Amino acid sequence: MPATSRTYWLTTPCRLRRQDDSIRVERDGHPPTFLPIEDVRDIIAAAEVDLNTSMMSLLNKHRIQIHILGYYGDYAGSFLPAETAVSGTVALNQMRLASDDEHALPIARALIDNAAFNIRWVIDRKLLTRSYGVLKESIAEATTREQLMAAEGNFRRNAWEALDTKLPDWLQLDGRSRRPPRNAGNAVISYINGILYARILSALRLTPLHTGIAFLHATMQRHRHSLALDLAEVFKPLFAERILIRLANRRQLKPQHFDINTNQAMLSESGRKLIVQTVRDDLAETVKHRTLGRNVSYDELIYLDALALTRTCLEGSTYAPFRVWW
Amino acid sequence: MITADDVGGVHVKYLYHCPRQLWLYARGFRPEHLNDAVQLGTAVHELSYSRFSPVDLGAATLDHLDNQLWVHEIKHSAKRREADRAQARHYCHQLVRIGVDVQGAVLHYRNPRKTERFPYTDDEHQKATEDIDRVLDIVAQAESPPKLGRTSCRGCSYLDYCWSQ
Ligand code: SF4
Repeated sequence: MPATSRTYWLTTPCRLRRQDDSIRVERDGHPPTFLPIEDVRDIIAAAEVDLNTSMMSLLNKHRIQIHILGYYGDYAGSFLPAETAVSGTVALNQMRLASDDEHALPIARALIDNAAFNIRWVIDRKLLTRSYGVLKESIAEATTREQLMAAEGNFRRNAWEALDTKLPDWLQLDGRSRRPPRNAGNAVISYINGILYARILSALRLTPLHTGIAFLHATMQRHRHSLALDLAEVFKPLFAERILIRLANRRQLKPQHFDINTNQAMLSESGRKLIVQTVRDDLAETVKHRTLGRNVSYDELIYLDALALTRTCLEGSTYAPFRVWW
Repeated sequence: MITADDVGGVHVKYLYHCPRQLWLYARGFRPEHLNDAVQLGTAVHELSYSRFSPVDLGAATLDHLDNQLWVHEIKHSAKRREADRAQARHYCHQLVRIGVDVQGAVLHYRNPRKTERFPYTDDEHQKATEDIDRVLDIVAQAESPPKLGRTSCRGCSYLDYCWSQ
């Protein structure tokens, strides 16, 4: 992604207005701030945001995406500029591969395998040895996407149980719950997954891949950008589970970061800020890439994975999804 | 895929630099906007030769055509590349095809500020025609051409794509 422009994160409620070629950010009780348009790559709105038509046309003109996180921090929607990198060949091949199990299943299998590998690396290698073995067997035998998803579901349940042993009582997941998250741990996981989903969508839109055509998740069913869900599988543990464990160990997460009542939990404003800040720093963290021979940020890893999938659709190379190597 | 009329200056430039780059580009996959070097190229362009007016030929845009019918191309790299010459030659070919009696090409190197002139002779015309055929051949291949050696890939906008296995 271009080095000159950046992702902007909005963590307090605000209004965005166009002023010449700048974005004017207005927040209650603050003087307005201005973002020069060339400076912006995309925007993640993690709080209420108010936009008007002239703002949208400015975003469209400069091909800037804005992703909006909803009330529970889960992904609510995006404004995506009309024009993206299109390639008829890529889209056609992607469609062909995705609609033919002979090609789609190996990709789906690799996604699940590497996602499980990453989860195990993040949570506990030993505790999850057995479940990982079981998963490997069942995905080798699976002949449909549904069977693959079911196998993954079983593995994830074991993984969440293992995760709970690493967390203080009040942050334990006690099973995954989404809308609304039932407890603090679930609220954190949902929120990070929402942010990640937005980042993946941004990365995919830089490639000619069609975000609606997926290999593991059902194409365009109930969900417009199923391909982002596919890629999210392998990256979620690196961010969501890993950050939750880390913030818990360092006792950085505190009850005041949450609004909790009897059957649901949400991040409070200070909680959102803490999470956004942490994810943002993690995305900028770098590792030495094995074949590119230079340091790449975690954010770039997402883009490189999207490129690898493009390679599969354009040239038929085997897709090896992201797997932790360091 | 594409026909002879669709072959533009970029196709020819890539033909000389890397057939694989050409093959990828012709399939509509163009990661240019991601590459810092390419962005620099655009910025240099806007700042330093603003008295020039670009000419749009449909498949190609050339930087400037002067009153004496010389094609002017601006290069931000100091290196003299065969690919740049071939690209300029291709523009001459395209102009001739639409009936402009073009004299030749002038390449402007920015750093150091120097220019080189290449009159458009029959021989050049012949070469330009062959280049178009070679472009069409490579683009029509079913399989992607192999990668170049790593050092020749420096600065290529497909670098991350080709090398991030
Ligand atoms: S990175 Fe190298 S092999 Fe790939 S297109 Fe560019 S020059 Fe060719």
